[in-house]
Amino acid sequence: MSAISGAVSDNRRALPFVAPALILIGAVILLPAFYVLYLSFNESTFGRAPTFVGFANYARILADPYFWRALLNTAVVVLIVVHVELALALGMALLFASGLPFRKWLIAAVLAPYAVSEVGAVVMWRTIFDPDAGVMTRLLESLGLPTLEWSVWPSHGLALVAILSIWLHLPFTFIILYAARLGLPAEIYEAARIDGAGPLQIFRRVTFPLLIPAMLVAMLFRYIFAFRLFSEVWLLTQGGPARTTEVVAVYLYLEAFRYNNFGVATATGWLMVLASLLLASFYLRRIYKEMFARGE
Amino acid sequence: MANSSAPRLATALGKIFAVTVILIWSIGPIALIFVASLTHERDIFAAARTAWRPTFENFIMLWRKWGDFFAGLTNSLIIAAGATLLAVAVSTLAGFGYSRWRSRFLSGSAFALIALRLLPPIVTTLPLFPVVNALRLNDTHAVLIILYAAFFVSLGTMVMRTFIDQIPRELDEAAAMDGATQFQILRKVILPLCGQGMVAVAIFVIVFAWNEFLFAFIFTTKWAKTAPLVMSEMIGSLDGVEWGVLFAATITQLLPVLLFVILSQRHLIEGLTAGATKG
Repeated sequence: MSAISGAVSDNRRALPFVAPALILIGAVILLPAFYVLYLSFNESTFGRAPTFVGFANYARILADPYFWRALLNTAVVVLIVVHVELALALGMALLFASGLPFRKWLIAAVLAPYAVSEVGAVVMWRTIFDPDAGVMTRLLESLGLPTLEWSVWPSHGLALVAILSIWLHLPFTFIILYAARLGLPAEIYEAARIDGAGPLQIFRRVTFPLLIPAMLVAMLFRYIFAFRLFSEVWLLTQGGPARTTEVVAVYLYLEAFRYNNFGVATATGWLMVLASLLLASFYLRRIYKEMFARGE
Repeated sequence: MANSSAPRLATALGKIFAVTVILIWSIGPIALIFVASLTHERDIFAAARTAWRPTFENFIMLWRKWGDFFAGLTNSLIIAAGATLLAVAVSTLAGFGYSRWRSRFLSGSAFALIALRLLPPIVTTLPLFPVVNALRLNDTHAVLIILYAAFFVSLGTMVMRTFIDQIPRELDEAAAMDGATQFQILRKVILPLCGQGMVAVAIFVIVFAWNEFLFAFIFTTKWAKTAPLVMSEMIGSLDGVEWGVLFAATITQLLPVLLFVILSQRHLIEGLTAGATKG
């Protein structure tokens, strides 16, 4: 059998199995994404026929100070969240790998926030940082430290969003790094110890470099998912006061559903898509190569 | 080397400190709300709590005043179950297809599955909104079931493919020799052996569907409202904030899935690592 006819019959046999997945993703994600692209070049509101306006929507967004504010807020929150999360997760993964009693229970405790909804997390952290009676507010006050006035100052509001976000997603990052650390062969560590390396040297020369691929995976996932941040901000501040804590997804939501401006909202959507793909391109290229290497 | 007991003690103390901080950080907020949900409304924010006498008052108030919330829990249950069934079925089929055959089309479409998953969900909701309205699917369980399943099919397919890859192909071939069709092979040979993978995928979808907010916020208004959405309305509508009731709702919504995550943590971890590092 030649390679080509083999591939053709492979396709025919595999199609019934992969078709449902492709149809589902195609109908719910791919087609809408293209339709969004089409709409983004049109002036359109809900229930009215779109009219072509070229890049006008994009121009309007790029001239809108609220968009830039939202973009800046998003960038700051994403950068803080992803990097703090990665550092914490790395420390925790190394701690757990170094041997702890009751490890199973401790891991269950660390995983607990994974079960919490965004709404639940907002209720929790709002209560902790309640300006009048929150545990954290009172603790900070009694220590003579400034408190987090998240409903007044935009930077405080975004800080609370960041704390909440890190809390919710740390289990994910931790598990990835912990699994990667457990996957490192024990012989390497024995060899390093025999060579007389101290703990710090082992970390710098062995653990850290070997964990870089896993850290990249965790980081890219988290960059992309953090970038679409919506619920935490919406539930805490709704982007206020005076649109100062808006993030890009909130900007998009407001344009679409409050100002009925589908054209601008969809153009914002495509800017988000482009940013996500840009962030992911390096990782996607690696997957693509791997798949084709295996696929031929 | 470091055989003296002083550094060892220091290491042990350091570990105890670190573990304490991690525990407070991870379960502190949950424990706090749990205790508050069992506290009299007027005592929740009292500066000095003299004696804490647990009460179910808040849960009773929740039951009496927020029938919506329990309807929301029912909706969440139906939607989570539906999305899980759909996602696991579709992912298992696709995982089998991608595990057993190779071609340019298959690698390309597998790649598309992953790449499309990276698109921000809020982007695809925009054009779906009028479509869903036109199909009169707005505010139904079906629309959320389909959306939630679709957003987990890529990860699910990758996880299932990883698990099915580990099942030796000789088993397929033996069954094929006995005259089994591909569907029969999947049903009789593969399915009994890839239960673990299906459980891992199911856990992801259940937790996601149970907690999701954005899609529910956009696509449901009354009949199919999920529990998180009702909770968000409680946050919004609390003029003279009924915190106790809100805490009771938070705990009621959280407890089942928290127990579920703790009981299934091994599968969750296996699924996460299989899905994230190999796909």
